[in-house]
Amino acid sequence: MSAMATVGRTLTAFATAPFTRRARAELVYLVIVAPIGIAVPVGALAFLMIMGFLAPGPAKPENVSFGGLAAGALVLLVLAPRLARRLGSFQRRLAARLLGERVAEPPSFRTGRGVLGRLDARLRDGAGWRAVAYLLLRVPVAVLGLYAVEYWVTGLVNLSYPFWWGLFRNHQPDVHLSPVPFLTPLKSSPFHIATYPGTLLVFAAGAASLLVAPWVTRAVVLADRWLIRNLLGPGSLTQRVRDLEQTRAQAVDDSAALLRRLERDLHDGAQARLAALAMNLGLAKEKLGDEGPELAQIRELVDAAHQGAKDALGELRDLAKGIHPPILDTGLPDALASLALGSAIPVQVTAEVPRRPTPAIETIAYFCAAELLANAVKHSHATTITIHVAEPSGWLLLIVTDDGVGGADPARGTGLSGLAHRVGTVDGHLDIASPPGGPTRVSIRLPPHA
Amino acid sequence: MRVVIAEDAAMMREGLIRLLADRGHQVCAAVPDGEALLTAVAEHGPDVAVVDIRMPPTHTDEGLRAAIDIRRDHPATGVLVFSQYIEPRYAARLLEGGAAKMGYLLKDRVADVADFTDALARIAAGGTALDPEVVGQLLRADRPGLDMLTLREREVLALMAEGRSNAGIAASLSISTGSVEKHVAGIFAKLDLPPSQGDNRRVLAVLAYLRS
Repeated sequence: MSAMATVGRTLTAFATAPFTRRARAELVYLVIVAPIGIAVPVGALAFLMIMGFLAPGPAKPENVSFGGLAAGALVLLVLAPRLARRLGSFQRRLAARLLGERVAEPPSFRTGRGVLGRLDARLRDGAGWRAVAYLLLRVPVAVLGLYAVEYWVTGLVNLSYPFWWGLFRNHQPDVHLSPVPFLTPLKSSPFHIATYPGTLLVFAAGAASLLVAPWVTRAVVLADRWLIRNLLGPGSLTQRVRDLEQTRAQAVDDSAALLRRLERDLHDGAQARLAALAMNLGLAKEKLGDEGPELAQIRELVDAAHQGAKDALGELRDLAKGIHPPILDTGLPDALASLALGSAIPVQVTAEVPRRPTPAIETIAYFCAAELLANAVKHSHATTITIHVAEPSGWLLLIVTDDGVGGADPARGTGLSGLAHRVGTVDGHLDIASPPGGPTRVSIRLPPHA
Repeated sequence: MRVVIAEDAAMMREGLIRLLADRGHQVCAAVPDGEALLTAVAEHGPDVAVVDIRMPPTHTDEGLRAAIDIRRDHPATGVLVFSQYIEPRYAARLLEGGAAKMGYLLKDRVADVADFTDALARIAAGGTALDPEVVGQLLRADRPGLDMLTLREREVLALMAEGRSNAGIAASLSISTGSVEKHVAGIFAKLDLPPSQGDNRRVLAVLAYLRS
């Protein structure tokens, strides 16, 4: 009994499939995307042809300009990821709207700095290239989509035969008319009919192709959905990790650049103004002289203003230096040497950094060295400290040692764990060897870029 | 005194011109970068050049490099470099070629007009003007011998290293020049330095000792 019901339900489902909302949505989807899918490679090819035949003269194969072709290919190469991203996002929205296929957006495009940086960012835009792959793989799917649409069209056309047969074929019995072809989605009209009963056969064939149409449509749509999920979404975990790494590197670099700009703005703006103000107040103070009782009050006020401006200058200097030590701009070795010269315990610096790491990495290395130096001065009772920077195998290696009492423990105090955190933001490593009794050796490895 | 100024911040530049003119000095040229500074020094041959360290195009150490060039090419011109920061590394680079006719001050010091013009005059006369911060760093490094000095002697040594004269040291510490002379003699004896005649040579001896 229940088996009968199942069969019945299946048959009903099969018979009503062409009239469901889903079938309609999928058909509309295919009708919209199939032309786009085919237009993309055709457009690209047409563009290349135009570029190839841009040179004057008749458009014959021997007149093709390879320079033009190459230029066209280059332009395509640069533009393709961005254009593909746009089409892809349209495609994603359409699929979400019509098919209910909701795919998360890929990570947004992050542009680089400068012409070369921007070009590089474009050429390495993973999500953009996956969208390009989607558009290419979608071409055969789009062709299949047109084929699926054909099932619907031929089905409907064939259904119409019995209705117009009487209108157009009401000829005298002795007149012989050539048989009418009827459409099939399989091949161009292998069948012909000549009589009214024949139209019933066509009607049946039309009904059959309408019944099949939603399943063909669905198969094509499923293939497209699979492509969308895999190529237009955020991508695989590996890809996602790579994207995140890239985004993080950009964020680290951006913040380093921002801090540097902030320091420079302070230096050129507030600090310069304040220095000029202090200078003018100093001059005013001298001009007031010591004489005259009514001047005494003014002098007191100018004195206070003068002192205030100088104090503000000092505070602003400490603040700016904490944001970005300007000497870092001349390179890590100079900055470390400056750090060492200012230390209360003698510091030996050796630096062999033939290739400069990015500013963000230099900044991390500098602040680590400063913190380690301050720690050593405060806690180690050392008599000498050494700072060694080198660049073996591309990574930046910073080693700070002291001959002090040892016992440095990242678990106690925030200094060392703060360093580990800072180094961790770029996947660097921090190793501390500090047995009780010393010596202490902290080594930090940083990648050449974030 | 004839002075050339190199400073990229217009406000600071104008302020310096006014200050120096007010004190009766002649400002031959005021330029915004190191390149123009070298041209101006070659053209005017001033007694002193006042040079900002951070200037265009890279805003790092243009002024410092220009200062070192001036000392090499125009030894008659004294150079006072000043900056928003005292970098020990820059001080070391500047003093590598000797401390005569050289100065390195924080920009803040310009606000104390008398001290600043005094420093300029010292440099023009062949002396030295080092910021207390620079001297502090020189004295901080653990140097055998320094611990033999009394607190007062260390104060006197620091002021000497800044480039001040006996009279200047006396005024600064509110003691008599006689006691300054006594302290100086004591310092030279304890550090085993040859007694030097004249303020400038004395400074050089002290700095040579501190940097050895």
